[in-house]
Amino acid sequence: MSSKSLIAACIVLSLLFVTTGAVWFSYSAETLDEVAGQFGIVESRIWNPPFPDYEIPSLRGNVLAGIIVGFVFVMVILGVTFAVGRFLVRTSRM
Amino acid sequence: MYILAVVFWFFSFRKARGLSEKQIPLMASLTAMFFAAQMMNYPIVGGTTAHLLGGPILAITMGPYLGVISMTIILLIQALFFGDGGITTFGANVWNMGIVGTFVPFMIYRLTPHITSTQRGKFAGVFLGALMGDVLAALCAGLELGLSSTFPYGVPIAAAAMVTHHAIIGVGEGVITVGIILALQKARPDLLQLPKLAPSWLGGSWDDVK
Repeated sequence: MSSKSLIAACIVLSLLFVTTGAVWFSYSAETLDEVAGQFGIVESRIWNPPFPDYEIPSLRGNVLAGIIVGFVFVMVILGVTFAVGRFLVRTSRM
Repeated sequence: MYILAVVFWFFSFRKARGLSEKQIPLMASLTAMFFAAQMMNYPIVGGTTAHLLGGPILAITMGPYLGVISMTIILLIQALFFGDGGITTFGANVWNMGIVGTFVPFMIYRLTPHITSTQRGKFAGVFLGALMGDVLAALCAGLELGLSSTFPYGVPIAAAAMVTHHAIIGVGEGVITVGIILALQKARPDLLQLPKLAPSWLGGSWDDVK
């Protein structure tokens, strides 16, 4: 198996995880948050994330939008980790 | 917690300079895949949820130093873009999932074959390492929650709840970690032979574990 095939296999599995997470194990069904709310513990933010709870703010509850956001960030993390890895290899040669 | 995280980042980035070019695709693929896996929050009794960590497979395949870096990337993006985990708790999350969740599995995986030297023993070490990594990471989170002034229960309840529930997810993490190692052993055994970036007393490659 080449490195490209390994990456492709991981992307397919990631899409499966993202879809499963968005459809059946939605982050928005976060029970810990609900229980915390019952105890009067209010979430306070010092930073407003662009995709709170893995959703697009104007499309809250839209499963497809959640899947797209999740998948886009899978690709972002793939790219960031590649960049960090290349940086580490390059600095080791210096 | 931030101070502890900074200490481990310093050593991880320094030691990770021994990274091989061949390890980059594996590191990137597993990091992206476990970001996706962490999106699956399983509701568990008592209002809590649990999810796979990914730290064990990252540490066992590449060494805990790269595991810390990969988990930091996942946790940082979750905090900055999704408000998951958060900025103020980032140091604690890195400690729990990024440091305890990588070093504990790697230590158990490296030490188990000293007790049993068979191939099964090696995989038992992988499974046990992943399980204990999740359980101890959860214990740390429970202690932090219990000691927090905003949490209405004390340490014993918080720690017991976290450990009990994450022991269940730890079994899943163990099975998945063993599954990925078996798949790599078949498809890309060369990646398992590469030296692990770990403290020297724990270093070596997959075949060194006898």
